[in-house]
Amino acid sequence: MSGTHDRLVYMANQIARNFAVQGETAAIAATARHIHDFWDPRMRDAIMAGEDAGLSDIAAGAIARLRGTLRSG
Amino acid sequence: MAYEPQADFGTPEVRADTQVTLTIDGRRVTVPEGTSVMRAAAECGGAIPSLCATDSLAAFGSCRLCLVEVDGMRGTTASCTTPVAQDMIVRTQTPRLEKLRRGVMELYISDHPLDCLTCSANNDCELQDTAAEVGLRDVRYGYAGAHHLGQQPDLSNPYFLFAPDKCIVCSRCVRACDEVQGTLALSVEARGFASKISAGQRADDFLSSDCVSCGACVQACPTSALMEKSVKAHGKPERAVITTCAYCGVGCTFRAEMRGEQLVRMVPWKDGKANRGHSCVKGRFAWGYAHHQDRITTPMIRESIDQPWREVSWDEALAFTAGRISAVKAQHGARALGGITSSRCTNEETFLVQKLVRAGFGSNNVDTCARVCHSPTGYGLKTTFGTSAGTQDFDSVMDADVIVVIGANPTDAHPVFASRMKRRLRQGAQLIVIDPRRIDLVRSPHVKAAHHLPLQPGTNVAVMTAMAHVIVTEGLADEDFVRARCDWDEYQDWARFVSASQHSPKFLEAVTKVPAAELRAAARLYATGGNAAIYYGLGVTEHSQGSSTVMAIANLAMATGNIGRAGVGVNPLRGQNNVQGACDMGSFPHELSGYRHISDAATRRMFEQDWGVALDPEPGLRIPNMLDAAIDGSFRALYIQGEDILQSDPNTRHVAAGLAAMDCVIVHDLFLNETANFAHVFLPGSTFLEKNGTFTNAERRIQPVRKVMETANGLEDWQVTQALANALGLGWAYTHPAQILDEIARLTPTFAGVSWDRLEREASLQWPVNDQFPDGAPVMHVDGFVRGKGHFVVTDYMPTDEKTGPRYPLLLTTGRILSQYNVGAQTRRTANTAWHPEDVLEIHPLDAENRGLKEGDWARLASRTGETSLRVSVTDRVAPGVVYTTFHHPETQANVVTTDYSDWATNCPEYKVTAVQVTPSNGPSDWQEDYAGLTARSRRIAAEPGE
Amino acid sequence: MTAVRISDDALALACGADALAAAFEAAGCTVERASSWGMHWLEPLVEIDGMGFGPATPEDVDAILSGKSAKAIGPIATHPFIAGQQRLTFARAGRTRALSLEDYERTGGWAGLERARRIGPEHVLDEVARSGLRGRGGAGFPAGVKWRTVAKAPGARKFIVCNADEGDSGTFADRMLMEGDPLQLIEGMAIAAHAVGAAQGYIYIRSEYPHAIRKLRDALKLCADIIAPFNIDVRVGAGAYVCGEETSLLNSLEGKRGEVRGKPPLPALQGLFGCPTVVNNVLTLAAVPHILAEGGAQDYEARGAGRSKGTMPIQLAGNIRHGGLYETPFGVTLNQLIFEIGGGTASGRPVKAVQVGGPLGAYLHPGQFDIPFDYEAYAAADALIGHGGITVFDDTADMAAMARFAMEFCAVESCGKCTPCRIGSVRGQEIIDRILSGGRQADAVELLPQMHNARLAERSQAEEVQLLEELCAVMKDASLCALGGFTPYPVMSALRHWPADFGLSAR
Repeated sequence: MSGTHDRLVYMANQIARNFAVQGETAAIAATARHIHDFWDPRMRDAIMAGEDAGLSDIAAGAIARLRGTLRSG
Repeated sequence: MAYEPQADFGTPEVRADTQVTLTIDGRRVTVPEGTSVMRAAAECGGAIPSLCATDSLAAFGSCRLCLVEVDGMRGTTASCTTPVAQDMIVRTQTPRLEKLRRGVMELYISDHPLDCLTCSANNDCELQDTAAEVGLRDVRYGYAGAHHLGQQPDLSNPYFLFAPDKCIVCSRCVRACDEVQGTLALSVEARGFASKISAGQRADDFLSSDCVSCGACVQACPTSALMEKSVKAHGKPERAVITTCAYCGVGCTFRAEMRGEQLVRMVPWKDGKANRGHSCVKGRFAWGYAHHQDRITTPMIRESIDQPWREVSWDEALAFTAGRISAVKAQHGARALGGITSSRCTNEETFLVQKLVRAGFGSNNVDTCARVCHSPTGYGLKTTFGTSAGTQDFDSVMDADVIVVIGANPTDAHPVFASRMKRRLRQGAQLIVIDPRRIDLVRSPHVKAAHHLPLQPGTNVAVMTAMAHVIVTEGLADEDFVRARCDWDEYQDWARFVSASQHSPKFLEAVTKVPAAELRAAARLYATGGNAAIYYGLGVTEHSQGSSTVMAIANLAMATGNIGRAGVGVNPLRGQNNVQGACDMGSFPHELSGYRHISDAATRRMFEQDWGVALDPEPGLRIPNMLDAAIDGSFRALYIQGEDILQSDPNTRHVAAGLAAMDCVIVHDLFLNETANFAHVFLPGSTFLEKNGTFTNAERRIQPVRKVMETANGLEDWQVTQALANALGLGWAYTHPAQILDEIARLTPTFAGVSWDRLEREASLQWPVNDQFPDGAPVMHVDGFVRGKGHFVVTDYMPTDEKTGPRYPLLLTTGRILSQYNVGAQTRRTANTAWHPEDVLEIHPLDAENRGLKEGDWARLASRTGETSLRVSVTDRVAPGVVYTTFHHPETQANVVTTDYSDWATNCPEYKVTAVQVTPSNGPSDWQEDYAGLTARSRRIAAEPGE
Repeated sequence: MTAVRISDDALALACGADALAAAFEAAGCTVERASSWGMHWLEPLVEIDGMGFGPATPEDVDAILSGKSAKAIGPIATHPFIAGQQRLTFARAGRTRALSLEDYERTGGWAGLERARRIGPEHVLDEVARSGLRGRGGAGFPAGVKWRTVAKAPGARKFIVCNADEGDSGTFADRMLMEGDPLQLIEGMAIAAHAVGAAQGYIYIRSEYPHAIRKLRDALKLCADIIAPFNIDVRVGAGAYVCGEETSLLNSLEGKRGEVRGKPPLPALQGLFGCPTVVNNVLTLAAVPHILAEGGAQDYEARGAGRSKGTMPIQLAGNIRHGGLYETPFGVTLNQLIFEIGGGTASGRPVKAVQVGGPLGAYLHPGQFDIPFDYEAYAAADALIGHGGITVFDDTADMAAMARFAMEFCAVESCGKCTPCRIGSVRGQEIIDRILSGGRQADAVELLPQMHNARLAERSQAEEVQLLEELCAVMKDASLCALGGFTPYPVMSALRHWPADFGLSAR
């Protein structure tokens, strides 16, 4: 699973990087929203279940936010 | 429809506000001012004999058969070149005219072969018809005088021949090449009686000349001087069926002209609104694959991919497939199943495949090849404008004053539209090309780009931002438009961003390698040159910032007010015939038809009620995610209709590994394609000639595809999908695609007004077609954006992670060529290989010399992902440091080299940037040899028992 | 030191003017190279203090300088050939140096342009119309109407194109004017540009006129500031007769194949590069400065006959004793031109025929020599004035051969666009051959049994003549331009007046 996890981390960081220009708060929200809207649940579950190591601050913030909304829901 | 020639009014239609009434042979006729007397006569049913006139070409006036008498004018005048005038009195039939026409015909026939009965144009020849019309009975000159008979025909073109002794030198071919196609490959050599049609230079034949084999000259020829070889072989057609081409996203409509079940020729349909009677070498001629010996027409199965294929009945194949799917579902759950819809299949077939996945398999793991081409367009235009589609119809280009082509090569990939574009450019519109390569449009006969920005591959966003910088900081933005139509606050945020000094052309020059002054001039021209239209292709989307570039383009159009009327807009040139339709039909894992998110409960409920099943509310896997998940073991069965992902998707080894890991790969295709090497089930497909349905082209135009001939395998593709659904117990009972289209209309607001009957009546409709747009929408966002206010998105340039370095110092970018299409499955099985028998690597002379490579040498092309070998072509079309190839041939497997990098928003692969090294080589790479072995093993078909 | 004037006109040069000039210089004279007076049989003509000597050779130098030359012709200006003319367009011929701005101004140069600028475009158009000036290229279309059409046509860019592709047999007026008085042509073009609002002009000149090309280019350099902001470029043709047809000329100027365009659209509305364009012949444009000078229009209109106003520079050539340039008001007759002015044939034999208007002009029979030289009178006689070239033939001419040559000329020069000209001219030659051989038998193809509808019986000479007449009707009425359309004139006139030359009894 590690190869896939690395790839998911790469994808999350790439999304975060492209939203970064909006400022951290907005970028975290946008990244979380994007992953929520476009990722298959097993990918979301995998990144939420995995280590945050390697995630950028924005990506980590977005994953943290997803953990809050998706797990509670 | 019985076979009869398409109506020809002699000279082009004229649009004018003023109408003029005249009298022709005693009949009162009213036509638009500027119409020729010839056309006016034809419109009232009194066609005037002519040979050099045809309504696709400007009047020429050379044959002199169409002479008429006009009251008040001395002598006789050519009706083709004479415009109507109010109260003009014209006589088209008088004893003097009769004598003149017969005299001219007598001259023609004094220098023409006489054996009409054995001519391939017999009974379909304007010269023959005209001789009959004028009552020619005697050629008093005899046949012993000077003549052009006995000249050898030019047979070099694989599809048509040129017989100079049948030529009447009407110049229709030359004018068609000039005016319709815009290639200017043909000319009249010498003068007077020695005048002769000549392709290219004197030493050339048709094949070696600049001729692109579009067929316009053949269509224009009034005799059989230029004639399809297929007509010579099969005879005159006896019926014609209007249908839509299955090649690129232009969506040309053709008359498939038939003798029984034999397709004799495909002739562009003059009333087709996408192509306006024009065609390219693919649609016009490259249909022979439909009967190629490689075509598989019997279903085949095998337990595992190391076994040979076993031919079985449809029932057995479907039962086997359903069993495997059910087993995977039982063991791994619905989300282990998925499907890929085809941009080459009809809307109805695509809709059914995604319905099968969502309603039958029970997952949203459906994706389409748009993933690897225009998914960023869907994302970017939906975000900024509110609709995942281009804003204009093709006709719009004729109103453009400035045409910007970004990352597209229309003359190769969208040739019929390119001809329209070139026509407009010849009329004086200005052209800006933004492309790493010097594509043909940059400099071709009578077309020259005002600016070519040869950017470093991967820096599209930087170039767009620098253009925006110029427009905003020089005060060239259309702020009135922005205030009225867009979100002003967002605009200001964006304007501030692009105005920053680090976004100036000068600052970004180091990154983009585009000279700042040239970029500034281009930006000024775009903003101030009148109606400015952007056309873009995969050079925009297939990047790690593909979606960002699409949004950056949209920003530019909004900031300059170039949206919402004819002549402007943002126009993706779609690669495949139905890529727009496949996207419209809900082929993406997160969307239902009409681009509605799967998480939207109301939309989902609509489908659930109609389909009688519950739908998964979560988005499914995209193609690359499917392959990743397959390697991980959570995705195990895939139904692929009409796609060859092994050849077309990036990082071939990774694709192969993913496919190899699955329990059930079902390939539904015409041929045993590369992906089928990893398949367990092969379901034979039907060509576009064998089925009914609709395609939607790049201008959102929905057009009928009509069954021209019987299926080779017994089932149209939608019937195969339905049979598979029914094998899974779904109980579908469609009897005609019209019913599927009704379902689409019922469930998709933008298609609400579309029906088969209506398409039969109106030939085409441009969505949206609904209460708001009852007749469709040629141009979108006219009074407001679909999403409300236009949305400016700040796009920050991020360099790709694919970097050059000492080991991989060159950047590879990929593309297409005119004669081949996509992975070549169709075109490689036609005579089009005459033009492009193999993929070659374009390399700059400096880079070639550094490596000791000469034209035609074998080279090894290696990236961090893989390597392949191919021959090189040394050319300065590419800049130093950039190499280019096409991906049409499986022997080359260019995608062995491409990487896993993809667009941040859509995972559209970054085909256009791969760091590579090129070194001399002595033949195929290890991978190519291994793969050739695998293919040979995998394509084995077991002999039938008893043989 | 004695001042000697010798022409540097191409015809004088061809007759040895350079060697003659060198001989005079060697004898210590100053030699001034002037334009030609247009008395071709006297070239090279030497002028010393208004007295003429010619045709002179270097051997004549001593005798001329010592006043004992037998080649003295007396005062040139009063020579009957000159004195009988009314020279307006060629007023400077023999009197000035082609590239002398000083000579040009001294003889009234630029007065027309200055006045045109003063009175404004609208009045210029009026005056050109009032003068009755008609196109001198052959069609005789009123210049004022053409100019007004261009002036009124919408369009930001307009052009003045001078047709200097003088290719008619026996013509040389354009060449003489461009070599001898290029500034007058330039001034005429500048006036036209002022009148219609054109900024650019082109002179399309045949490559066979190297001296004229050089003179024009030099003249344009001299006067660039005077005609500015109007600019003129010289463009050299590549040897196609049909490029003298205005629409072919425009195609050629655009860099395209010299192929005739259908009309409409008229070049006045959509001409060069699709823009409104004045296309006028050299003589038309060169007549304009005189017309625009004070009182010029009235003066011009007062001359001539009927609707043919002003003067025509007629070119006497072929088998004629006193060949040269003879500018005279319309209305003169061939009898006057050939016998009184031209002195009959050079061979001394009787005149058999005269071709007027170049290779597409009709052959006139001596019985027609009293027709007044004007557009309408000639048209009524199925003849053309054309560019004013007159080629004289004596009684040794074979008129059937000349008719065949007309067809051959048409075939060689045809652009190939329209059917009557492209195929008809070839068939025309074949028919004339058959007429000369008395008809024809069915040919090998017609005799094939597969040819069910072909006629097997012989076709008589009379039938072949009828076919030629019908072919000429098709060419005349159906050809796209004057090349095919006018070829029937020489053919039919030869057939009509000299049937014996075709082996026919008089008809």
